[in-house]
Amino acid sequence: MTSSTPTPRAADTHWDAGDLGCGDLVLELRLRMETMKPGQLLQLTARDPGARADIPAWCRMTGHTLIAEQHPVYQIRRKEN
Amino acid sequence: MANRFCVSLTHAKDNQDKATVGFVVANAAAGSGKETLVFLSVEGVRLAQKGYADDIREEGFAPLRELMDNFAKAGGTIYVCSPCFKKRKLDENNLVAGAAIVGGAKLVEFLSEGSPCVSY
Repeated sequence: MTSSTPTPRAADTHWDAGDLGCGDLVLELRLRMETMKPGQLLQLTARDPGARADIPAWCRMTGHTLIAEQHPVYQIRRKEN
Repeated sequence: MANRFCVSLTHAKDNQDKATVGFVVANAAAGSGKETLVFLSVEGVRLAQKGYADDIREEGFAPLRELMDNFAKAGGTIYVCSPCFKKRKLDENNLVAGAAIVGGAKLVEFLSEGSPCVSY
């Protein structure tokens, strides 16, 4: 589920991925999500142009929820388990 | 039978034959009613720039520009490898119709949902 409207909720964690993209971005993203608790919110900044397509796809595949997206900023809620 | 088809294309003017045949096969898939993706990576990303393919014409085939236009008109999708594109310092504001810059996750999603893939 995605929305372009920024959520008012403050993120639990922020990560500025800079220009990281493709496999490097999603692998590091996976590792960071694994350190978070279920339901926690990550605010990700990913400037790679591929992130526009990749972050929603990654969320669909992994089961995490994309709460808001306004490239380069994405808010992702960690899945329950 | 899968309703999707992927063509992975890694060449441009470094191998015009492969670049052309990749789109010929992609058009065959699109023409057969398949949801068709062309994944451009390595040198192939240059094909995503408007005007680049205009002078590619392999004997025995339609001009590449025409093949790519027909692919877009048929609803085909072109994924352009983001790191390959950035490495070559190409212009993301000058993409051909149907092209989008993506990273690996988008390709993985497409293939994981069930799709054969042929590489050129």
